Amino acid sequence: MVLIVGAALLTGGVILFILLPVIRGGRASLERSEDELTESEAKKRVSLLALRDVEYDFATGKLDEGDYKDLKREISREALSALREVEAEGDRRLRRAKGSADEEAGGIEAEIAAVREGLRRGTTCHTCGHSNADGSRFCAGCGAQLPGAVEPAPG
Amino acid sequence: MIVLGELALWIALPVAIWGMVLAFVGGRHRRGDLVLSAERSIYAVFALLGIASAGIVAAFLGDRYEYLYVASYSNRALDTFYKASGLWAGQRGSLLFWAVLLAFFSAVAVFTNRRKNREFMPYVAGVLLTIITFFIVVLLFADVNPFEQLGFTPADGQGLNPQLQNYWMTIHPPTLYLGFTAFAVPFAFAMSALLSGRVDSRWIVVTRRWTLLSWFFLSNGIIFGMRWAYEELGWGGYWFWDPVENASLLPWLTATAFLHSVMIQEKRGMLKVWNMALVTLTFMLTIFATFLTRSGLIESVHSFAQETKIALIFLGFLALIVAVSVVLIIHRYPQLRSESEIQSFFSRESAFLFNNLILLAVAFAVIWGILLPLLSEGLTGEAIQVGAPFFNRVNLPMGMVLLALVGIGPVIAWRRASKRNLAKNFTIPLLVGVTVVGVFAIRGSRHWMSLITFGISAFVMTVILVEFFKGTRARSRIEGEGIPRAFVHLVARNRRRWGGYIVHVGIVMIFTAFAGNAFNVEVIQTLEPGQSITLASPLGHDYTLTYEGLSSSRGRNMVWQAVALMSLDRDGRRVGSITTEKRMYETSPSPMTEVGIHSTPFEDVYIILANAEDLIAGAYENDPSAQRATFEFQINLLVSWLWYGGLMLTFGSLIAIWPSQGPLPAEKQTAARPEAVPATVGAD
Repeated sequence: MVLIVGAALLTGGVILFILLPVIRGGRASLERSEDELTESEAKKRVSLLALRDVEYDFATGKLDEGDYKDLKREISREALSALREVEAEGDRRLRRAKGSADEEAGGIEAEIAAVREGLRRGTTCHTCGHSNADGSRFCAGCGAQLPGAVEPAPG
Repeated sequence: MIVLGELALWIALPVAIWGMVLAFVGGRHRRGDLVLSAERSIYAVFALLGIASAGIVAAFLGDRYEYLYVASYSNRALDTFYKASGLWAGQRGSLLFWAVLLAFFSAVAVFTNRRKNREFMPYVAGVLLTIITFFIVVLLFADVNPFEQLGFTPADGQGLNPQLQNYWMTIHPPTLYLGFTAFAVPFAFAMSALLSGRVDSRWIVVTRRWTLLSWFFLSNGIIFGMRWAYEELGWGGYWFWDPVENASLLPWLTATAFLHSVMIQEKRGMLKVWNMALVTLTFMLTIFATFLTRSGLIESVHSFAQETKIALIFLGFLALIVAVSVVLIIHRYPQLRSESEIQSFFSRESAFLFNNLILLAVAFAVIWGILLPLLSEGLTGEAIQVGAPFFNRVNLPMGMVLLALVGIGPVIAWRRASKRNLAKNFTIPLLVGVTVVGVFAIRGSRHWMSLITFGISAFVMTVILVEFFKGTRARSRIEGEGIPRAFVHLVARNRRRWGGYIVHVGIVMIFTAFAGNAFNVEVIQTLEPGQSITLASPLGHDYTLTYEGLSSSRGRNMVWQAVALMSLDRDGRRVGSITTEKRMYETSPSPMTEVGIHSTPFEDVYIILANAEDLIAGAYENDPSAQRATFEFQINLLVSWLWYGGLMLTFGSLIAIWPSQGPLPAEKQTAARPEAVPATVGAD
């Protein structure tokens, strides 16, 4: 008797547990969550890590100065293109969120205007085109010094 | 409990199939409700298989010999400890144990990913449930149900093979199985990447710790097996290239290759197809190892032929894995192209690739050694014996090259290294290595293979020490930290790299232990009580062993037990005593030998009671004239290094596996202030 009750409870419990989501409409997420890396973000991360590897290899004497400079230039280029890709992806996402094609065209215009304004004020980077926050001294995109930046006082 | 266990096993089948189907359908049609149901099926299957396993353990503890499996592997007098481990004592229980461990890891994988990596999870759940379903089908339909009843109740069971009544043999199989089953998770993520089309390095990053965990268990499982062989089999060695040992080594070899080659994909976007192939191959080899050791195939093709059902199911499953993964890889081939190329032969990429090729070559040599006797027996009826000489001749040179690569890899820069730098970095380690060989050679040693191994080991150790030293110095200089602080931060900031180096130290110690074998001393001598024998150790001192006599004892589950006592002197000073035994177990037809070991950091004194005039008269009637006995005396060099190397390997892998704190601190910094890059020296 105990056995039959136990078996019934076990079977019933299991069926209920696995069927509930389908019956009651519970859901598991199938989307990448916001804070996870996208493919282009992952690529960016990898090239930044590679940059550090090169620094490390140079600091511990595994690379010649010449090779070090070559490699650094090469990887910086890769990192930059990855950064651009990330930004482009972010823009696309933003635009998708905004919606219509009309707005999209307007968005591009607005963006161009913003870049112009930024260049005038010295917050847009001349090297990579990244728009930085007001008062930035270095570009958050590529690290170049921004024209609007004030030289730090000596000492 | 037992009946409930059997019932749970039956319920687990439809639940697993339900979950498997829903996971794939839900993934394909983007239905979150179906996927949630599938994920719940994994939890349910784990619970059900847990109940089934508990049922088997209960049957063992309750001496329920009406169950065939219990009757075959237990008896009333068996120690409770060994009864409880009856779950993995034989084929039937092991298969259930495999399934429940796999379900456990599946549940952990689903639970830890309940809020992240969601785009992978439907197919991950589907693949894991497919594997679980396969094992449940085997259990229920391949005549290996552990709940099968005899139809009558024998008074007592047949007992557990006395050789398996050893602590190491109790923990060796579970450890190995943990390694086998944990690898199903990286495999499931790889398949999910192919199915969902997200084939960048994400699946590798997500499963990195799973792969390490699996590798950690596999390594320890193999070492525990060696420990058991050394203590229990009584021939003085720990590895015999036995098919069962080889079967466990195979996935370890390919998993090691995989661990290294994924780093190239992460960093350089290369070898994508290769990594897919390696993860599939390793997973298949874990299934193959289970199949080989638990299907009766190894004993003989002919005994195996009686168990065709389980063989066909296993081979069918392996064929299915090959077919599916090949089709998927071809389907995604355009996305799996390399993003870059190897720039120079002198680069870490190329060293890693070389290491991969050698590991694979060793794996193929081992597979060949396993299959050749089976094939020849199947085709000609005559089994060709492939023994230790074959494996040693083929694998030792490759092992030595691998060991050298352990030292070469870390010093070569990524992408390309200049020859001048290589010369600069290798000079000191090479000198150390050559000096070690020279010193041994001058002192008269002529075991060249061992000497070269010692030399390579010294080379690798020097490289690793210099790496730690330089890394610490660089960090201390750049960050302005004190040496101890810089050292701790160096390791903590990049656990994979520095943990990996510590694992390499363990590997060097293990290879050194292998090389020590060549110096072993072995003498067979018959002694009467009071007589002694003197052995010259290769380390330059003498051991004197005095046979004190034979006495009796009677352990649990034994008919009789004869214990020979030896006292041990080193250069005339008493250092201890050693006992070696013959035991007659109730359930075994012939007496078993227990060896006596006196272990020191550099050598073991190892004694085997080979034979005695009349053990029973000698031991029980205390008749000195009957106590004349023949012993095999061995001095085994550097065996302890194998166990210490294993500990080192464990320590290093734990450092690498341990979760790091949050995201890379450098990531945001580097983007904002590239001049701060050196602050992260030592990060990987």
